[in-house]
Amino acid sequence: MSLLEVDGIETYYGESHILEGVSLSVERGEVVALMGRNGVGKTTTLRSVLQLTPPRSGTVRYDGTDLAGLRTHEVADMGVGWIPEDRRIFSQLTVEENLRVSVPDGSDVADALSVAFETFPILDERRDQPAGTLSGGQQQMLALGRGLVGDNDLLLVDEPSEGLAPQIVADVAEALAATASETTMLLVEQNLPLALDLADRFYVLDNGRVVDDGDADAVSADDERLRRYLSA
Amino acid sequence: MIPVDSLSVALLQTGFVDGLLDFLQPDVLAGVVVRGLAKSAIYIMIAAGLTLIFGLLGVLNFAHGALTMIGAYLGGLVMVLTVANGTGPWTRLALFFVAMTVVFGLLAALGGSIELSLIRPLYDRPPIYQILLTFGLTLVLEELVRIVVQFYGLQPIAKWQQALGTIPVFLETTQSLGPLSVRGLVFFEILLGALSVAGIWGFLTRTRYGLFIRAGSEDSEMAEALGIDVRRVFTVVFALGAGIAGIAGTLLMWDQVWGASVPLAADTLLPAFVVVIIGGLGTFRGTVVGGLVVGLVDATTTWWFQNVVVTWTWLPEVAIFLILVVALIVRPQGIYGVEEVGGH
Amino acid sequence: MAISSATELRQRLETSWPVESIQRQQVYLVVIALLAAYPAVYHLLSQSPLANETVALLPRMETMVGVLYFALFAMSFDFISGYTGYLSFGHAAFYGTGAYTVLLIANGKVPLLPPETPFVATLLIGAVLATVLAVVIGLVSFRLTGVYFAMITLGFTQVMYVFVRDWDYVGSNPRDGIALSGARGFELGVPYVDQLTVALGTLTGDTLTLFGHTLGTTTVSFYAIGVVVLLCYLGMQRIVHSPFGRVMVAIRENEERAEAIGYDTFRYKLGAFAISGFFGGVAGGLLAGFKRSVTPETGFYFLTGGDALLASIIGGFGTLAGPLWGHLFDEVIREFLSKQGQGGGLLPYLREALSEGVLTTELVGGLTVEGFITAALNGHASLYVGVVFVLFVLYVPDGLVGTVRDRLGGPVARRLPERLWGER
Repeated sequence: MSLLEVDGIETYYGESHILEGVSLSVERGEVVALMGRNGVGKTTTLRSVLQLTPPRSGTVRYDGTDLAGLRTHEVADMGVGWIPEDRRIFSQLTVEENLRVSVPDGSDVADALSVAFETFPILDERRDQPAGTLSGGQQQMLALGRGLVGDNDLLLVDEPSEGLAPQIVADVAEALAATASETTMLLVEQNLPLALDLADRFYVLDNGRVVDDGDADAVSADDERLRRYLSA
Repeated sequence: MIPVDSLSVALLQTGFVDGLLDFLQPDVLAGVVVRGLAKSAIYIMIAAGLTLIFGLLGVLNFAHGALTMIGAYLGGLVMVLTVANGTGPWTRLALFFVAMTVVFGLLAALGGSIELSLIRPLYDRPPIYQILLTFGLTLVLEELVRIVVQFYGLQPIAKWQQALGTIPVFLETTQSLGPLSVRGLVFFEILLGALSVAGIWGFLTRTRYGLFIRAGSEDSEMAEALGIDVRRVFTVVFALGAGIAGIAGTLLMWDQVWGASVPLAADTLLPAFVVVIIGGLGTFRGTVVGGLVVGLVDATTTWWFQNVVVTWTWLPEVAIFLILVVALIVRPQGIYGVEEVGGH
Repeated sequence: MAISSATELRQRLETSWPVESIQRQQVYLVVIALLAAYPAVYHLLSQSPLANETVALLPRMETMVGVLYFALFAMSFDFISGYTGYLSFGHAAFYGTGAYTVLLIANGKVPLLPPETPFVATLLIGAVLATVLAVVIGLVSFRLTGVYFAMITLGFTQVMYVFVRDWDYVGSNPRDGIALSGARGFELGVPYVDQLTVALGTLTGDTLTLFGHTLGTTTVSFYAIGVVVLLCYLGMQRIVHSPFGRVMVAIRENEERAEAIGYDTFRYKLGAFAISGFFGGVAGGLLAGFKRSVTPETGFYFLTGGDALLASIIGGFGTLAGPLWGHLFDEVIREFLSKQGQGGGLLPYLREALSEGVLTTELVGGLTVEGFITAALNGHASLYVGVVFVLFVLYVPDGLVGTVRDRLGGPVARRLPERLWGER
């Protein structure tokens, strides 16, 4: 049984029909890349899984359970983590508080924090600073750290390299790899080399539908297959 | 608009300079500052709940004044029932803290039920409906209180004298502290205000729930995605906000200037709005600073009105609103406000 | 124009300009006819066997006059708040300005304007002043949106309220506002032409004798003010259905997009606000003209704006006619439930209608039925109106007219005839 099974979901924003039947799956331990041009519905797919923008039809199954009708915090409690576009860290809270907030109730906070600080030492250095004072790359680490700390089996990561300078992207890629080794990941990323490097498999989205999929190893960034659906 | 006849001008010219010199005397200044701090304490207590509620839910709670007023009456009720003529001052003070606790509990319960039954259904609608609802709620609450109060033979628009009478002697009479000579209640208000600020600040910064509230105020969607049941936090915060309003009301029951009466609802609501907006809607720090600003300005203009410019009777009240207008022009998001309150 | 048959005659008539006009406007005509007939209906019913019920349930004429000019105020409120989406919590400022201007001039307190200045002129002056005020407030306030806009307009109005309440130029006791004495009422109509003017006011107004029936002073005021309100409504309506009005709605739906398309939304907002201020001022002037008095509370207190808000919620935001029905609904309930002696109907009606036995039945702890209904019904209209308001916000958010619009799929005037008589 796949960890995540999405079957024919159709999602709307108001009256806009964004997802017109998206199906994909993610196995335990995998990193799956979700690619496509701007506006095709990649973020919406992640939001649909989280039930932030619940699909009007189709099913989302996580670890065998149908997520329809669940509140987002219930989905999060089940082990689905979200690293959204723009990071969305709490800028008024300190780095440490950002992490604390993500620790599930009942878990050992100190343990969880030390895991995060080991993986991302920079966060330890700045643990008492307001998160808003961190650089873009550091905020991304913090966002990933939140995902780690949240005891998640599945991480939904949205455009982690967006807006970051190339040398920072390399750091983020390392951080992603480190995170990926601990958990399962569904990664939305427009940086093709980064995505294909990390991922085991990929899906391509166009106009609210999955139009292609395959093994990440079998394909390179300048493949004709991909060029058709993606901006260079 | 300002009455400009030559007599006023002359008065102004001679009065102003003298007034300024009087004002800058240390004992006068100290008196104004202390009274200003007491007013600040009250404004902060009234506005604290409002800002917490707006920060997290994005709802501007028009019913906040009505909740404060209910707190005043309930607090008065407890005091009137338990205090007899012979009750000693320290006992009265102790009973006051009992009243505060009772009122906090009752009003928190009221606030929580209001949120659950009336506000929650409106989450998916444009925010204007939540404002409208709390506005209608204020009408209903005020009338209900009016009916009950009249039924028991009290005048709804007059301050509840009996409640005022339960005040302990040392708070009612003038106390001296160095050059200062003010009613004991002034010091008590400052004390209570400081305790409230410390209590709320501690709650927000040192407890897990406070962390949830702060995170949710910044970005409630993200908080939900991290596993926080944001809806339940909404209800808790509304209850808390109502409870704090109730405590503020209980304190006001003893204050001659305010007193427990139905118009207290409107009288507290408007300054609360000003405080919250000046400081920054949704930030507790902003409310504290805003309260200090408004309180001190209020005390200053009151002194000026009473001692110097007697013809400008509208000065103290107008001053507060002018601050609001100026603040909204110069820095609409308030001193500590963020441009965008996320998740709203 | 040879007419060959009866059929052709009918066709010619049906497509002629007057008949088509009437068909297009039939909903308006019906509404106007209903309102115009009210005095007659009320009068007849109060002489009939149903007199007790009538007096109990239906609003008195004096209340109906108030409904008219306050409805105009509520409409002006809806004009800005419902159509552009900017909630004007300080709308009372315009109402108060209109009223105070008229009364101050009539009291001789305004330099350059003698007390004999025709009412129509002072009314317009008041409205213009209100417009200027709107522009001033708008210049500052429209830099903000949403809650902040509402709060700053509220702030301005509160400043005016406090100021007017303590300004002794107004009178020896400014808290009581202004009250005009004198036998001759304000005259509405073409100035200096006696045949075309009527004096307003219950005590000071004119009576009118038509076809052998004499209309009382209040009724005359009702019609006169009704004409003014109708004209204003039509004016606002015209604007709302024009390209200007469409931009207003665009601002409400998505202001960023409207700006992106190229509209200077600031100018449009300011213009709409000015217009709403003008009509709010007219409403205030009419209040002054009829009641001959105003207090800081009725004029400037923010709760007056609250009543307009109430009317708009019950009637429906963004419908223009909605606030009229909403306010009528509000007033009917208020009068129905108000204190005895102020027209309040339900309480005395119940007292008479219920038998002695029922009235003295004890309910709980010494409280009789009579005691209960007295406590609950004596002048607590605000409570029930507030409850209605909350219920509407929760369950009928589009208001009465708004919900009807939703059902019909468009503005009532256009769609209702289609539904009733089929497409033409």
